[in-house]
Amino acid sequence: MLFWILAALLTLAAALAVMRPFASRKATSTDEKSHDIEVYRDQLDELSRDVERGLIGKDEAEQARAEIGRRILKATDASQDTAKSDAGGQAARFTAAAAILAVPLISWGLYAVTGSPGMPAQPLQARLEQDPSNASIEELVARAEAHLADNPQDVRGWQVLAPVYMRLGRFADAQTALRAILRLSGDAPEVQAALGEAIAAASQGIVTADAEAAFEAALKADPANPKARFFLALGRAQEGKMDEARQGWQALQEAQPEGSPWREAAAQALASADGNARGASGGASSAPGPTQEDVAAASQLSGGDRQAMIEGMVSRLDEKLRDNPDDPEGWRRLVQSYMVLKKPDEAREALDRGVAALGADTEAGRALAALARDLGLPGE
Amino acid sequence: MSIELGHFALVLAFALALVQMCVPIIGGQLKNETLMRVGEPTAMAGFALISLSFAALLSAYVLSDFSVLNVWENSHSAKPLLYKITGTWGNHEGSMLLWVLILAFFGALVALFGRNLPLTLRANVLGVQGAIGSAFLLFILMTSNPFTRLDPAPMQGRDLNPILQDVGLAVHPPLLYLGYVGFSVSFSFAIAALIEGRIDAAWARWVRPWTLAAWMFLTGGIAMGSYWAYYELGWGGFWFWDPVENASLLPWLGGTALLHSALVMEKRSALKIWTVLLAILTFSLSLLGTFLVRSGVLTSVHAFATDPARGVFILGILMLFIGGSLALFAWRAGSLTAGGLFQPISREGALVLNNLILTTATATVLIGTLYPLLIEALLGEKISVGPPFFNLTFGPLMLPLLAIVPFGPLLAWKRGDLWAASQRLFFAFGAALLVAMLAYVVIDPSSVLGAAGIGLGAWLVLGAATDIVLKSGFGKATGAVAWRRLIGLPRSVFGTALAHAGLGLTMIGIAAVSTQQEERIVALQPGETVEIHGFVLRFESLRPFTGPNYTEDQAHFVLNRVTGKPLGAVVSAKRLYQARQMPTTEAGIRTLGLSQLYVSLGDRTPNGALVVRVWWKPFVTLIWLGALVMMAGGAVSLLDRRLRVGAPMPRAKPGKAKVAGEGARG
Repeated sequence: MLFWILAALLTLAAALAVMRPFASRKATSTDEKSHDIEVYRDQLDELSRDVERGLIGKDEAEQARAEIGRRILKATDASQDTAKSDAGGQAARFTAAAAILAVPLISWGLYAVTGSPGMPAQPLQARLEQDPSNASIEELVARAEAHLADNPQDVRGWQVLAPVYMRLGRFADAQTALRAILRLSGDAPEVQAALGEAIAAASQGIVTADAEAAFEAALKADPANPKARFFLALGRAQEGKMDEARQGWQALQEAQPEGSPWREAAAQALASADGNARGASGGASSAPGPTQEDVAAASQLSGGDRQAMIEGMVSRLDEKLRDNPDDPEGWRRLVQSYMVLKKPDEAREALDRGVAALGADTEAGRALAALARDLGLPGE
Repeated sequence: MSIELGHFALVLAFALALVQMCVPIIGGQLKNETLMRVGEPTAMAGFALISLSFAALLSAYVLSDFSVLNVWENSHSAKPLLYKITGTWGNHEGSMLLWVLILAFFGALVALFGRNLPLTLRANVLGVQGAIGSAFLLFILMTSNPFTRLDPAPMQGRDLNPILQDVGLAVHPPLLYLGYVGFSVSFSFAIAALIEGRIDAAWARWVRPWTLAAWMFLTGGIAMGSYWAYYELGWGGFWFWDPVENASLLPWLGGTALLHSALVMEKRSALKIWTVLLAILTFSLSLLGTFLVRSGVLTSVHAFATDPARGVFILGILMLFIGGSLALFAWRAGSLTAGGLFQPISREGALVLNNLILTTATATVLIGTLYPLLIEALLGEKISVGPPFFNLTFGPLMLPLLAIVPFGPLLAWKRGDLWAASQRLFFAFGAALLVAMLAYVVIDPSSVLGAAGIGLGAWLVLGAATDIVLKSGFGKATGAVAWRRLIGLPRSVFGTALAHAGLGLTMIGIAAVSTQQEERIVALQPGETVEIHGFVLRFESLRPFTGPNYTEDQAHFVLNRVTGKPLGAVVSAKRLYQARQMPTTEAGIRTLGLSQLYVSLGDRTPNGALVVRVWWKPFVTLIWLGALVMMAGGAVSLLDRRLRVGAPMPRAKPGKAKVAGEGARG
């Protein structure tokens, strides 16, 4: 409301500025030629000053004076119509009315198109001081950042911020936060492992030398740290040392209790490593497993996101099998995946399609049906 | 709310600019005094509104209001306050707003101080100013609105281009715009004269101070930009013949020509039509610069805007104003009364020669700047017209001009005596020759060209001094008399001398640096030294440093003379701005007298040594000091009494008009 009042006042002031000459109808007009004569007179003064100073010779001064004198005469002779305050009649009145109307019409009309009148100004400081309960995640992060800029020794703040940065994909900031935690509260295996993960995530999932160093530091303090072990194995795999990688994942899978996310991640990584190996030796038709980047990305995602990502991969596999059904290993994984995702109906449908595609009498078809029974999916 | 109010004020200013464009000019045609008077209050109100608008944007930057798209794109909450402020115009939208703010400022000045102008002239000038203002305000509102909002607002901005995070941004653009936009006043005067079909005697007196002021600011803006590029880009050049630099040099050359031709017009009522044309061309070149920089035609630090829609819009404005004004000129120039004829050997003859050379030089630079763009547009070929072209064309044009500069002020109006002027300059010529010989023998016997350049610069400085000495009569009159006459000399005489001497100083700096600079490129381990021009630079250490929004590696050096005399520390750095992950170099510069030692860092070598470039730049500061002296000359000239013509009082008796005029001056 205040905005509209101020806008109206501004408009009024602008319209008044346009109207001012109409309000003061004082006859202030001077003859146009008197301006010229004033200039020439000034030139004469200047000339006599120059003569006083000796800047100009006597003869030259006389000539110049004569020249200026001629100009003055010419200006005096020139007949000129002087402007009047009411000349122009109808046209002038129309112009005046149009001008005064134009100010509010154009400004309010154009502002209606370009402006956002309802939107308040949002200076950063004021936003940071607002009630935090209805703030967005970015706002909370900015608030924490502002707090940490003033109190960089606050470990608690960094601890809160680090996982949020990871979630938001701000991996460089996450590294800064994790390093601050390490600096302030000493070495801790989980923090080292998280730092390694952040470094790897910043370089698109590649376990770089820096990341490896962080994971190794984590293992030094806690040899059982599952995150560090998983990523170190992934690093081996990225270097092409598949045997070492498989060993690492195998050991991790065995060490973790049933239902632990790292056990699943290791199992998946193993399956994908096997798939890749078979694909490499057994020809092109084999469905590719999740790439290393997929795994790395999956391990950073929250539960819901990870679920979505896995479902995405499964439906990709499903698509592929529709186009290229002669792939026993593919069908096996598809059925298995649907069961893991707790979608028995899809699993059953996949089983039926797989058996039909491979042939119920073939060895592959029978193996698929056997697998389904093992998974608790009764055949028909 | 403050932001929306700023936005509304801008829209309102556009409406007022339209009124300011139409009403006074219509009034001028109808001879209606009231309508003609509408120009002044609207110009002042328009300036107030645009100021309000600019203040709103400025406060959005200072308070980091990221609900404004422009602030989010170009600011960051961790940026130091100075760069939050300067960041307001460190981008396309904000700089356009500054542009119209300055335009409105000049319009308000004309309205405020124009009481002694004939009414019709004043109305038409303000009308043309209103036309320029409304075109650019429309451009801002339609294609580059700085008040576009973001909802929801992000919590952090994307930061300002690190190269622009420098004090230079506080000085260079405002000065440059004061120059560019200042020429709009001369342009408006020229168009007003064409609309009316006559040139008042006050015309030249009025055009000259505006041109002078614009020229002064433009000189400062160009020099500041050149110094900024010199210390920020890290390779120690002061002029690159980059199209963007040329875009600022073009109106400067045109404006310099205009300054001199306006002088002839004022004193001798000659060259009227030519002066009108120059005023049009100079502002057209300013507009062309704006177009080149913002249309995305060029890529450089300055090319903020690469949106083709903007380019087309500016091209439209450009064609409207340049094409329209030239068409008006072709149509109406015949109705202007041509001035008298004059002798070739005279002050006005010398000024015409100056104009001929300057306009040819302008055309040369214009061709060199536009030719590659045209070739690329027409044939799709990329060619580059670089320093060799300009050195071969612009240089030979300017050298004779510089050589004849000292003669100009010594020639009398109407009928000059070249021989007498030469005789008077004999001493200055001899001394300049001596300087050149000294430069050849003492500084560097290998470079004849450098010595000649330094001699030429000295010739300009000494010639300017000679003018002052002769005009005050030292040698002829007694010391006391001469001294009194020196103090009583018109300020414009000092202005001329200072401007010409400043040109000479710049010339000396350019000649010395171009021919006698020394360079060393070495890889240094801590503790190692490099020797250059009698100095020893020792690399001490490389230390990390954290600034407010950047981190840098600072290389610390210790500078000594070969004799062992210590000269203190030099610090040079490589900086990384986090928000944009962009590196910059921060040169270490040590000023010794008028010369500078310039240290810039390269990369690390595999064995841990640091690549260091060291330049010895003799007399380099003269390049910019000369520009400052030129500016001082402009300022002194502006204070000259004759530029403050008194206003005739309405219905005053002739005898009293003078007194009234004196009053109006105060």
